[in-house]
Amino acid sequence: MAIELYFFQPLGTNSGRVFLALIEKGVPFIERELDGVAFEHLRPAYLAINPRGQVPALVHDGRPLTEGAPICEYIDEAFAGPALRPADLDERCTMRRWCRYLDVDLGRAVMMIHWNRIVPAFVGARSPEEVERIIASVPDPDRRRAWRRAYLQQTPPEELAESHRRIAAGAARIEQALARGPWLAGRSFSLADIDLLSFYAFLAKWSPEVVNELTTPRTLDWIARMEERPAVRELRARSRMPQRAPVSERGAVAARA
Amino acid sequence: MLDVYHAEPTGASARVLIVLEEKALEFRSHYVDVLALEHCRAPVAELAPGEDLPVLVRGGVASAGVSAVCELLDEAYPERPLMPKGARDRWCARVWQKHVDDVIAPAVSGLAWQAYRERFLQSVTRDELERSVERIEALDERVRWRAALGGYGEEQLARADARVEESLLRVETTLSANEWLAGPLFSLADIAVFAYFKYLSGLCGARLSESRTPRTLTWLRAVSQRSPVRAALARGRAHDPFTTATPAPEPIRWG
Repeated sequence: MAIELYFFQPLGTNSGRVFLALIEKGVPFIERELDGVAFEHLRPAYLAINPRGQVPALVHDGRPLTEGAPICEYIDEAFAGPALRPADLDERCTMRRWCRYLDVDLGRAVMMIHWNRIVPAFVGARSPEEVERIIASVPDPDRRRAWRRAYLQQTPPEELAESHRRIAAGAARIEQALARGPWLAGRSFSLADIDLLSFYAFLAKWSPEVVNELTTPRTLDWIARMEERPAVRELRARSRMPQRAPVSERGAVAARA
Repeated sequence: MLDVYHAEPTGASARVLIVLEEKALEFRSHYVDVLALEHCRAPVAELAPGEDLPVLVRGGVASAGVSAVCELLDEAYPERPLMPKGARDRWCARVWQKHVDDVIAPAVSGLAWQAYRERFLQSVTRDELERSVERIEALDERVRWRAALGGYGEEQLARADARVEESLLRVETTLSANEWLAGPLFSLADIAVFAYFKYLSGLCGARLSESRTPRTLTWLRAVSQRSPVRAALARGRAHDPFTTATPAPEPIRWG
């Protein structure tokens, strides 16, 4: 039975991590790209697959699976291929703790800043009424609230400042973890590394002051090692909109030197 | 030997204690008085800096993050499994746990704190407590306590209320098709939801009724009556832990 992945370009955050997990696992899949700018994910055809109107969704055996982190564990459990979770159970627990931290803490801080910068360009020439109609049709209340705040530029400045603080703290936390082992969860490459790569480009783009050779050398080395993985190369080759972290170029050079 | 550092057996602490009891594991229980800010001091603050309770120590390794710890226990002690067998049911159990972490935990804990905090605040000297809060080293925890002392705002409580209602309907709908939330097996999904839904009769009893949510009520009774669950809920100091509360985890900041 065919495996289909519904996702957005660019291949960042949730779409990127599931896309990369499938390639790392060696699972062939059919690409079902949705046009986020046209709000294709809010149309009935996609809402029938994920009523929450969010990407990604994986359709396997004709039935949909949603939510990034649980889909990634599903991929590791349902298909044969290289393990994406550490065999050591303590390390696996650390991996899950990282996935959650990246998802709800650091990831949300990055997305708050990212959305506040891109939403005006994203909605384009649409009238305020049309934008309001689109926002009202977003099924998830938290997502609806985020959209409205970003569009109306109503995110309180202290919340944006708090996000910047969390990003700085997160960059330091990642750097510390990479001092303990080559990969985020320890000795084994895992879904935690896949998750981090998938939004690190955003982090580096909006917060270059916390991601650089001086403060996060181990992270840059990690990025260079990630970019050399065959699966990551394939991910980049299949991306229409490259999302490589700007610093990864320098990291790659440093790693080769 | 396993050591678990936990608060009153509600929410996240109840989840891990129930798993330990369901698996009939031997463990040392270390009660941590969150309202006395004991979790901000050694040993908890040193074992797992910046992490929420409960903290599990197994073979000298400390682990935190409630869903990750529950899965660790299920994988390390596979007898009496609490995760379904098939990959799709396991995905389903993880989606439920994520929904609890993201939505149910902050919503129910927020409403519980709002309902039960006065009882606690009357028993302490406010100035002294505020000074202690300002001395909390971990900034995230300090911020959480500051918000909690002032009481949560109307918008946050209204969001919490709507999220509880939506989650209740989701549970009711799921239980019309399955005996348990993630399929035919009592699982970590049931434990996670139960650890918060047990609060609901005291917080918003009108939402639960035989006509509105018959399956949820039957399910709540069935989980409550399990002897491992009863043993776990007796691990606290309060006569009924579900009439106590601590400051809530942060709701999702950006959807």
